[in-house]
Amino acid sequence: MNQRELIHLHWRTGFGATPALIAASRKLSRENNINRLFDASKKIEPIQIDLSDFGDYFNTPYTKLKKNLGEQNSQKLRQKSQKKVRELNFSWLKKIANSDQVLREKMTLFWANIFVCRDNHILHTLKFNNILRTHALGNFGDFVKAISRSASMLKYLNNNRNFKKKPNENFARELMELFTLGIGNYSETDVKEAARAFTGWNFTPNGEFILRDARHDQNSKIFLGETGNFGGDDIINLIIKQKACAEFICTKIYRYFVNPSVDKEHIRELTDVFYKDYNIETLMRHLFMADWFYEEKNIGVKIKSPVELMVGIHKVVPSVFKKQRQVQYLQKMMGQTLLYPVNVAGWKGDRYWIDSNSLMFRLKLPSLILNNAKISLKPKGKFEDTFDEFYKEKKQRFSVDEKERTYFETHYSKVSFNKLKELLVVPRLDYDTSEMLEAYQPQNSFQYGVQLMSIPEYQLC
Amino acid sequence: MKRRDFLVKSSLASSMVFVPSFMKAFENLDPALLGYKKLVVIQLSGGNDGLNTIIPYRNDLYYSNRPGISIPKNKLIDIDGELGLNENLAPLKSLYDKGYLSIINNVGYPNPSRSHFRSTDIWHTASSASTYLDSGWMGRYIDQYGKKPYSGIEVDDSLSLILKGNTINGVATKDAKKMFNNAKTPFFSKVLETQTEAHLSEHNLGYLYKTMVGAKSSAMYIYETSKTTTSTQSYPNNPFAKQLKTTAEFINSKLDTKVYYVSMGGFDTHANQANRHARLLKTYSEAMEVFVKDLEASDSFKDTLILTFSEFGRRVQQNAAGGTDHGAANNLFVIGKNLKKPGIYNDSPDLSNLDKNGDLHYTIDFRSVYATLLDQWLGASHSKVLGNSFNTLNFI
Repeated sequence: MNQRELIHLHWRTGFGATPALIAASRKLSRENNINRLFDASKKIEPIQIDLSDFGDYFNTPYTKLKKNLGEQNSQKLRQKSQKKVRELNFSWLKKIANSDQVLREKMTLFWANIFVCRDNHILHTLKFNNILRTHALGNFGDFVKAISRSASMLKYLNNNRNFKKKPNENFARELMELFTLGIGNYSETDVKEAARAFTGWNFTPNGEFILRDARHDQNSKIFLGETGNFGGDDIINLIIKQKACAEFICTKIYRYFVNPSVDKEHIRELTDVFYKDYNIETLMRHLFMADWFYEEKNIGVKIKSPVELMVGIHKVVPSVFKKQRQVQYLQKMMGQTLLYPVNVAGWKGDRYWIDSNSLMFRLKLPSLILNNAKISLKPKGKFEDTFDEFYKEKKQRFSVDEKERTYFETHYSKVSFNKLKELLVVPRLDYDTSEMLEAYQPQNSFQYGVQLMSIPEYQLC
Repeated sequence: MKRRDFLVKSSLASSMVFVPSFMKAFENLDPALLGYKKLVVIQLSGGNDGLNTIIPYRNDLYYSNRPGISIPKNKLIDIDGELGLNENLAPLKSLYDKGYLSIINNVGYPNPSRSHFRSTDIWHTASSASTYLDSGWMGRYIDQYGKKPYSGIEVDDSLSLILKGNTINGVATKDAKKMFNNAKTPFFSKVLETQTEAHLSEHNLGYLYKTMVGAKSSAMYIYETSKTTTSTQSYPNNPFAKQLKTTAEFINSKLDTKVYYVSMGGFDTHANQANRHARLLKTYSEAMEVFVKDLEASDSFKDTLILTFSEFGRRVQQNAAGGTDHGAANNLFVIGKNLKKPGIYNDSPDLSNLDKNGDLHYTIDFRSVYATLLDQWLGASHSKVLGNSFNTLNFI
């Protein structure tokens, strides 16, 4: 595979390619490279968080806990749990940035924005996050069933308040609208009937699924044209029987992994592959093997999500993920805080990441993290920095230490300036910007790297 | 361009202009076209329970459908012998008494969507339930009338669909200074200064460059114009009040922004809604009262109109969790100084005639509200912005 194809493949399956990775992959065939990606992601390593020191919090219903410990102590445990969720945000980002299962983590990130969920209970949230990771490359049907049984989701979409006597439609509606079928492929009646099938689906305090028989509606339902005494799993099976479900997911996959504007022919091809057995790995292998995936029109056209942007910079100079609070600030400013989605539809992605505020912040990000917010701008041959004044007022928020600088030097300083440009900037460079970069090229590759990561082209992958 | 030419050109050009010539077109617009009326649109996100906001307290059906969450007669503020304000809206009552508030009932659209996202998109884009648009109605308004990104400001960290136009997007900012400091980075000025028109046709890359140009000039303009205006009113200490304070500062500084958008979340009250809904209404109305005072103190209130909407109302019947599920038609508020028909604009909701989901029918299409604002307040032509003609109403 040539360098450009490899960079493309590794941006879409991960967060970019280092010179070392490219050197090791160039001689391999496409198939072998893809096998390597999937082999590396075979293992499932759940995130682990220290949850000792919570006493009975995870085994006792909250009302009972309040009786045992009193209002204040229970409240304290609850707040502690919320704080731990922020810790999980940090652990997750670190895992994305450093895990060897790059593709699995990329897929986990993708699914987190399909099965959107938000919870402030750390044990439930952790379990939910690990369900995403476990099923990320597995069978889609099993995946949906696992999600539907998770405490976090049951809470988030109010299914824990969905009872035979008074069904609550929230989960049933979003299951079809956002997780599987999309609007237009089911009716309002289907929503009501599906809601009945999920009545009584609930969870225990430690997050185990439980079906409360007395609250479950055993009677006959009519769903998507079929009649039966359906339970929740039957509903999911019937949904998956619809080809619209495969198409819905393949369209999401295409937008995320290939191109934000879809090619109907390619969607049809993917849908046919996926509909056979809903095996996610088979689908992804097919996609990364397809010739059209490597067509020029699909390279460098996707606007990076804030997480992709941050992790991408981290892969070049590993300095981003040091302080938890800073990392959360960055996510917030760019509009993507992991575990805290804006709503159940998730982040819309691509151009929706960009408005004047977020773009300027994103352009500033590399210099902010790596270079005290400074981007070199000296015309070739000039030595005085005319912008000292400007930079004087800046406070130092982030800093790169010796070790990180060494990492960059080891991996990047031996490549030519031209090669550095090819490695860091995926789309074809704008002509005027290219000229300008040449006119203001700094003396060392680190400063040049910061420049390259500060142009609009770096926002794309 | 050859590199040598480029160097010559850039040294000549440096510090002269930072806005490329092709963007200058945006700068030369006759301000007389625009007038000085301002519109502030506020969304209560999540689906505000309109029936517990403006309460039809004479209607037995209201009480029989909501045994656990209805507002008792002694805990509301009567307004016309039929409808009452939730007691947490007390600050709105004083606006009502001055004739500054108009309540429009039963606003919605045919085949209502009960999805937050879809219904929000419908309200933002002013589409019908069956069409999907990529631009917002306020965004299209600034496309055609304001012509500058800062013609529309969302006082928040990121920009919603409502302010995305076809050719121009509005600006999102909660902090003009921060935005300005970031935009004046010399490297960015240099990148922009050297741009020619060539790349603009390109897909996402052209979009990024264009956004960057707009960001830079807007950041300078907004900051330079608004930096000397600081509100002296004391707003409550919460994010929504803070957003309104920033909005008031922008308006009072005579910023040439035509439309503002602010959203306040949390209204998706599926469970245990009583206390939560009360708190939300209190937060909303207290901040709104100070906001109006602030505008009045600077004599800007007469030129400002405030619309408050929610993407849908909630079901008439309460659910088992002491909350309400997604509904359809809802009431909305218009606040301003020169209302034609202050008070209750039209008939109360009809609780005896519900749709098959048990939701209220609409009697006024929300696009008629927009059309009225566009034609009669902003001096625009609503069919150009909304893409269709709608009946206008008589509230301003």
